Amino acid sequence: MLLKCDELIPERKKHIVRKGEKGCGKGKGKPCEISCNVPTTPGDMTERGCTFAGCRGVVGGPVKDVIHITHGPIGCAAYSWGYRPHLADSDFHMKYIFVSDIEEKDIIFGGEKKLLNSILEANKEFPEVKGVFIYNTCSPALIGDDGKDVAKIASEKIKKPVIFFPCEGFRGVSQSQGHHVGNLTIFRDLVGTAEPDAPSAYGINLVGEYNIKGDMNNILPLFQEMGVDVITAFTGNASIDDLKVMHRAKLNVVHCTRSATYIAEMMKEEYGTPYIDVTLWGIENTSAALRETAKFFGLEKEAERVIAREIEYIKPKIEYYKERLAGKHVFIYQGAPRAWHWVQLMHELGMEVIAAATTFGHVDDYEKIFQKVKEGTLVVDNPNALEIEEILEEFKPDLFIAGNKEKYISYKMGQPFVNGHTYDSGPYAGFRGMIKFARDMDKAINSPVWKLVKEKANRMEVL
Amino acid sequence: MRQIAFYGKGGIGKSTTQQNTAAALADLDNQIMVVGCDPKADCTRLLLRGKRQATVLDTIRETEEEEIKLETLVNDGYGGVKCVEAGGPEPGVGCGGRGVITAIQTLQELGAYNGNLDYVFYDVLGDVVCGGFAMPIREGYAREIYLVVSGEYMALYAANNISKGIKKFASRGYARLGGVICNSRMVENERELVEEFARRINTKMIHFIPRDKDVQRAEINKMTVIDWNPDVNQAQEYRELAKKINENQDFTIPTPITQDELEELMKTYGVED
Repeated sequence: MLLKCDELIPERKKHIVRKGEKGCGKGKGKPCEISCNVPTTPGDMTERGCTFAGCRGVVGGPVKDVIHITHGPIGCAAYSWGYRPHLADSDFHMKYIFVSDIEEKDIIFGGEKKLLNSILEANKEFPEVKGVFIYNTCSPALIGDDGKDVAKIASEKIKKPVIFFPCEGFRGVSQSQGHHVGNLTIFRDLVGTAEPDAPSAYGINLVGEYNIKGDMNNILPLFQEMGVDVITAFTGNASIDDLKVMHRAKLNVVHCTRSATYIAEMMKEEYGTPYIDVTLWGIENTSAALRETAKFFGLEKEAERVIAREIEYIKPKIEYYKERLAGKHVFIYQGAPRAWHWVQLMHELGMEVIAAATTFGHVDDYEKIFQKVKEGTLVVDNPNALEIEEILEEFKPDLFIAGNKEKYISYKMGQPFVNGHTYDSGPYAGFRGMIKFARDMDKAINSPVWKLVKEKANRMEVL
Repeated sequence: MRQIAFYGKGGIGKSTTQQNTAAALADLDNQIMVVGCDPKADCTRLLLRGKRQATVLDTIRETEEEEIKLETLVNDGYGGVKCVEAGGPEPGVGCGGRGVITAIQTLQELGAYNGNLDYVFYDVLGDVVCGGFAMPIREGYAREIYLVVSGEYMALYAANNISKGIKKFASRGYARLGGVICNSRMVENERELVEEFARRINTKMIHFIPRDKDVQRAEINKMTVIDWNPDVNQAQEYRELAKKINENQDFTIPTPITQDELEELMKTYGVED
């Protein structure tokens, strides 16, 4: 469908559909007719990021004990730091950012020496780090700086792994390409380069879990209590050493399917490690994730015990919020998977998703969205600010769940909002995270502030 | 001030032709600046009698921005010709194209063009491999372009390619083709071939420079022919070319030909055994 604001870019029509239209979600095996993962239409002020953002910000950034160097101009560093709260049990990776600071003269004469010196200097300042990750940006890539060779030389000099990510911003159509580059590089250069001291017979990797605002505090105990060892989280709270031994896991449990199925696939091919896709938000999904993992190891009884105890703990609290949230309409706009991860969770709170959008979803993301949402639900690929505004005005959701980029437009419009991207409070994953999620949704929707905002706005209009 | 760029295939004799032309024009009391735009920095060697000068880009790299002086970048060569070398990276690293852009912008900022100049010559390496090497014919620097060629296929191929670039920028309003200079390689039917090639791309062969060992003799002595021995025949040829360029008023937008047409042309004029 075509939104009013898209009058001048009718190409956007292909990216905005309602379930039930044009065969979408009707009948099994029918492809959803939504255009996605394609270049942005000129004129469409997209909110997409770049390949560098996806690799540095999402996949590589959470690794806690390496120096993260941006090989590029200084501005590429400022805009790559601190916007994603992928926490760990130490804060080096959140506190510091390193950049080779490529200037005009380095573009002309080449930036390799400067990069090498940056690595050596940073390593000298922080000798306790266990390795160096280099993220390439557009300009050194264009002049053909051989960062991979610099990484090799630096690695020999500092006697630590130095990993080069060819994640130049201009590659691909969105940050999604950066996730792929991050997966490929870590798989090729790190996975399998060390052996664990004592391989566990119940070892899993939690793949595509980045520990946003401490999500893993809610998730890990569930697995541990039923007897499963989480060898590595890829890459939340991960040490570079954890990444080296990932290949010894018996099973990969994939949470963010968009950004990390790549490495699960590669491990399946190379090491024969099976993987399962899970959702670790909401009661039904989290239970299913634990059950499926338990089934693989024959730990069904243990899983049921954990699930029963957790549900008993959260049930009364969820009931309380359900009463306050039932019947409310939600518009979810996330990077990709959370737009479908959370549909069931909303049902469990008596709420309904009336619009779902992703920044960089692929076909498989949209298939899942269409499977889960009701007929008539609006589904949008790569929405821009004007579209978001129009959807909020026309579809009048009771709650908008998006990220920092959408936060202030929502507030200005008097629209109840929850930051699902980076959690203003959180964390929301796992059974207990759902209580916080429900609490924040309740606070947003039922806050008296919206009435005041609207009264003030009306007064201003009169004036 | 006329700003002129010489383009052509690598090794065709651009620098030699351009320096001799500049020397001949200097003899006619013209104020001239030559800007070498080749990372090898060898475009002003003969005018400077072999003296290596500091390049613009090396200076930018080694000096604080506020301390860069025009005097250190400009050296007086034969006949008072002001010689500048843009310079650039070592082969295989960095970006020479960006270097040309930066060097010319730096010269502009330092006021190199503000003097009382009659001519500025740009000598640009080989093919126009990227946007940077087209800098002299963009943004209103060089407005006249001469293509140095011989009767060999690759030389004409390169010249045809460059004329595609000129045509592209022509719509922006400035750079025009002034003619084709044939620097003879003693190929059969060379004059006829090059004249016909020039006609096809909508220009003329402005001069045919015969092959002469005196060019090499002068070069070994690190001098232009004009400087080394103004009385030899080749010096007269360069003076002739300079005169023609000086009087040239025939500037066109080129009409590059297809590869097939160029191959056909070679066949028509080429050697028949």
